Amino acid sequence: MVEMKEVFETNDMVSHENLDVRTITMGISLLDCIDSDLDTLCKNIYDKITASARDLVRVGDDIGLEFGVPVINKRISVTPIALVGGSACKSPEDFVKVAETLDSAAKEVGVNFIGGYSALVQKGMTPADRNLILSVPEALKRTERVCSSISLGSTKTGINMDAVRLMGDIILESAELTKEDDSLGCAKLVVFCNPPDDNPFMAGAFHGVTESDRIINVGVSGPGVVKNVLSKVRGENFEVLCETIKKTAFKVTRVGQLFAKEASRRLDVPFGIVDLSLAPTPAVGDSIADIIHEMGMEYAGAPGTTAALAILNDQVKKGGVMASSYVGGLSGAFIPVTEDKSMAYAAEIGALTLEKLEAMTCVCSVGLDMIAIPGDTPATTIAGIIADEMAIGMINQKTTAVRIIPVIGKGVGDVAEFGGLLGEAKIMPVNKFGCADFVNRGGRIPAPIHSFKN
Amino acid sequence: MKRIIITLVGKDHVGIIGPVCNFFADNNINILDIKQTTVQEYINMMMIVDIEKYDKDFDTLVSDLDKTGEKVSCIIKAQHEEIFEMMHRI
Repeated sequence: MVEMKEVFETNDMVSHENLDVRTITMGISLLDCIDSDLDTLCKNIYDKITASARDLVRVGDDIGLEFGVPVINKRISVTPIALVGGSACKSPEDFVKVAETLDSAAKEVGVNFIGGYSALVQKGMTPADRNLILSVPEALKRTERVCSSISLGSTKTGINMDAVRLMGDIILESAELTKEDDSLGCAKLVVFCNPPDDNPFMAGAFHGVTESDRIINVGVSGPGVVKNVLSKVRGENFEVLCETIKKTAFKVTRVGQLFAKEASRRLDVPFGIVDLSLAPTPAVGDSIADIIHEMGMEYAGAPGTTAALAILNDQVKKGGVMASSYVGGLSGAFIPVTEDKSMAYAAEIGALTLEKLEAMTCVCSVGLDMIAIPGDTPATTIAGIIADEMAIGMINQKTTAVRIIPVIGKGVGDVAEFGGLLGEAKIMPVNKFGCADFVNRGGRIPAPIHSFKN
Repeated sequence: MKRIIITLVGKDHVGIIGPVCNFFADNNINILDIKQTTVQEYINMMMIVDIEKYDKDFDTLVSDLDKTGEKVSCIIKAQHEEIFEMMHRI
């Protein structure tokens, strides 16, 4: 029998601590849409997405209403488009047409983002991969809901430095083409090392080629819930701290598990995974930086922050793994700057720097995320930042990513505003010293010694 | 049986439970259990109800409970029971 205390605890999490299901993401394979004729390809893609995800938004809203926990986003991820469009697309412009098709399909079914405008080039680039990458700035400018991700490295293959260098230019070009909106295009573009095939979160979601035809992946959230529960154990030792986070993560993840199973049943699409990530939003109280503060740091970025984040990430996983039958995606804590009000404030007052964020990415689930930098940052420096982050992922056998926004026309201290869940923040300074001779070498960084496990 | 958890939160005053119970009776919803606490001047109430014989959809139940809540100056929510069992039971 359900206890009254438990019922009110759950409802308090929703009403006062921003507990929600962050996303129900339907992964859709587009491999069976492949055709050598561009118009046929686009028609096949549009038809498959709109048929598969027709009821996704309604079902997500129904489940949210019936269980009393809101489902914030309903989204779609598709097979990396460089693979799907390889036969039909002979130029970057051809790929842009596919991006526009994805955008129309997303609008038709009512999802707010569609991910998978992607290329997996961690070892080398095919002509199709290169064309897709070259098309990204124009595709992001002309579409509203399409998200792009490019995989540049992995522990198994090393790092494709030609692609890293190219992405320095592509990120700047995307920024330039969307400069009227504070270079918003770059908020929909992420580069990865070791990306998971089943990530439900944007901008990095794509439907990996190892996945089934359609799949339901769910991303839970709940930084506010963790922060609130930690406020009740102030001054207690690390055992109590860790146990408290673990128990809370269990409860939060169970919501995701329930929603994933229910969405899977109602949509008649197999359940894939629950992603355990603590994903903040710009809403007050929905912040990873607030958790770090509650753990004992004056502000996020103070010495001790990396250790605190390591604890948080590990305990969230330990609690979450028991709560779900299948765990996957990114699973950990996200540390975006603009999307987290207290993180943005910590950066503004100088507590949090780009270098400290880089250190934190060694122990968090993703990487340098939603960081606004000066618009005059050289492409080679952006490539250097990417290379550093890819190296952390490659050596530590973890996912790392870079979603960085050079805001054209703005400099350090100016405010970049992206709106909605993407938030706003002051532009952070970047190390002024160059790395052009390093990133311009070309070629590929070999896989590390510990990748040879066969 | 389709068990739903009803929660009611608000400032306590005379005449809260009457209109809420009447709403359930009028809509063929059977009340299985009621628990209630009053802390200072605030009432927290939980009901377990069976909506097996309720012939409208869940959206309507939620919006009608909103209206009933407004009448008695309380917030009334309806949720499927599984959410609480999932969160609080291994």
